[in-house]
Amino acid sequence: MSSPAPNEPPARPGPGPAAPGTVLELRWRSSRHARRLLTLGLAGLFIATLARRPEFAGLAAPALLLLAAGRIQRRPPRLVVRARPSSRRGFEDEVMALDVTAEGQDGCDIRWTLHPGREIAPVGPPVADGPAARLTFTPERWGRRDLGTLDVTLRDRWRLSEGHASLSLPRIDCYPAPASQQTRVVLRRLPNRLGEHPVRVPGEGLEFSGVRDYVPGDRQRSINWPASTRRGRLQVNTFAAERSQDVVLLADATSDVGEPGRSALDLALRGTGAAARAYLDARDRVGVITYQWGGATWLAPGLGRRQVYRIIDSMLSADTGGWTSGASFRRLPRAALPPGALVVVFSPLLDRRFVETLRDMRERGFAMLVVDVLNAEPPARPGGLMRSTDRAARRIWRMEQEAIRFSLRELGIPVVHWDGAESLDLPLAAHTRRPMAARR
Amino acid sequence: MNGPAMRQLPASRVPVSRVPVQAGAITIAAVLLGAGCVVWAAVPLAVKGWGGFALFLAIFTVTAGALRLALIAVPVPEDSFLLSGPVRAGLRALELLRQAPWEEGAVLAVLWLEVRHPSRPWHTAVLGAALIAYLLATHLAESGAQPPVLRPHTRVLAAGAVLLALGAGAGMLPAAAPGAGSALLRLVAAGALIAAGALVLPYVVRGENQG
Repeated sequence: MSSPAPNEPPARPGPGPAAPGTVLELRWRSSRHARRLLTLGLAGLFIATLARRPEFAGLAAPALLLLAAGRIQRRPPRLVVRARPSSRRGFEDEVMALDVTAEGQDGCDIRWTLHPGREIAPVGPPVADGPAARLTFTPERWGRRDLGTLDVTLRDRWRLSEGHASLSLPRIDCYPAPASQQTRVVLRRLPNRLGEHPVRVPGEGLEFSGVRDYVPGDRQRSINWPASTRRGRLQVNTFAAERSQDVVLLADATSDVGEPGRSALDLALRGTGAAARAYLDARDRVGVITYQWGGATWLAPGLGRRQVYRIIDSMLSADTGGWTSGASFRRLPRAALPPGALVVVFSPLLDRRFVETLRDMRERGFAMLVVDVLNAEPPARPGGLMRSTDRAARRIWRMEQEAIRFSLRELGIPVVHWDGAESLDLPLAAHTRRPMAARR
Repeated sequence: MNGPAMRQLPASRVPVSRVPVQAGAITIAAVLLGAGCVVWAAVPLAVKGWGGFALFLAIFTVTAGALRLALIAVPVPEDSFLLSGPVRAGLRALELLRQAPWEEGAVLAVLWLEVRHPSRPWHTAVLGAALIAYLLATHLAESGAQPPVLRPHTRVLAAGAVLLALGAGAGMLPAAAPGAGSALLRLVAAGALIAAGALVLPYVVRGENQG
């Protein structure tokens, strides 16, 4: 997965096959400039006639001549426009570009005006001139976003009439900006599958495990000559086996609390993206379950860089993977939630049914780790005046939250808090130093 | 997801282009031309009767037009649901400022001021030239265009200037005889000049398009 470059404008696309253009019918009307000239001309003629002063007719002459000249000009009835975003996929705050070209303008001046859709912010002026132009923008928040509309304004050579047309721009997929995570939580018991995590079982890995006596069949290159010299018989090096694990990322999408941009859902998606990238870099199989009201969407664990995009796509929309109804994950197929998988949960732990689901999964023997993404408290009463009942309610709410986390820890589910600003490595540090045991 | 960074040309190979006229300079020019038209049409000052109102109207519309040009780049949020009352009122005022035809009002008020004076043909001709320049500068300022876009106007404006001068000359001709008939005759002569100009115009424009 290429890392986003927030402040780097994308390069201009190379000469590729031209995208099919959109034919826009132009609506021509007089410009404000023409209306002003008409006012001057008619007022001059009117005064000249009424006051019988010919100099006012002369005053009206230049304006009327300009208007008459503009009537001779030909105006194209339609225009072919090509609008192509630099990419259909981008990250939050990544600078993207929209390249627009027009054909058939018949020598008229063209002005492009971008009216961005929701959560799309123009970078620089949203207006550009010329038959080929580039408008830059940045998606401010993840999701499937309409880029907005593009207004095209044609002005004839005499600037007296304007042709207007609008073009609806395509949608783009905006991915949450992934957080930073370099370290990984590794289970103590891993499935017998080749990977990159060294385990205690001897095997053909790279990490040195120990020495033992030579037996016929051992490779000659693995003989440890210093040890053989000391002990007086042939010794060979042994290495730790390297295995991979199944990781299921569980994103809780039921509660979106907190300020926009740093809400619990934002942090859950960013954390999920970061964890997916970190585990896929270690050749682990990573899948995702997005828990929503009434059910969950899931994507079976897989390998490779493209899995990151599949995971984020599955979180943004439910058209990939599968769907299961109900709050329990008992109906999930083994492909979605393989036995022995590490389950990393990103949740504010506000939904009781979801907490019950976590307990149920733990009792079924899954090794779990909860990343608490709750960074908000119940809002204060408007006006900022807190009554004693408000304070008591807030204290009770905090105690409830602490009780939920305590009960999960008692079940053997570690709960770490993440504020979204720091790297995920910091809250996970206590669990990444050594393999995590899955108590049953 | 990102392509390679855009290649930067070395400083020595950056194409040297003519420095575009700043939009602020054009706006200032438009405001100065508008103010000049008002002053030119108002002197000598005659504020009796409707003269004072005409002067007020001219100053008000030119000022409002200048404000419109100055605030033309202020962005307007698409949603105003969550904005406070004063901000919404300010946005409403800005919308009114942008939509009202201030320049048309200014032209009418200035002509009203001018017609209140006794006949002074060359003075009126200069006012006509200044008004055309005011309208062209206003158009450039509001559209963000550069002065070279008015290059096609050159020949037509030259023809208009000739007609302007001829109209002023017609205004200076002594009346053939006292009465309404001679004034009407002069008016017909001025109208004939304009009609002649309009007949010649297609040939002027064709030559401009070919050039």
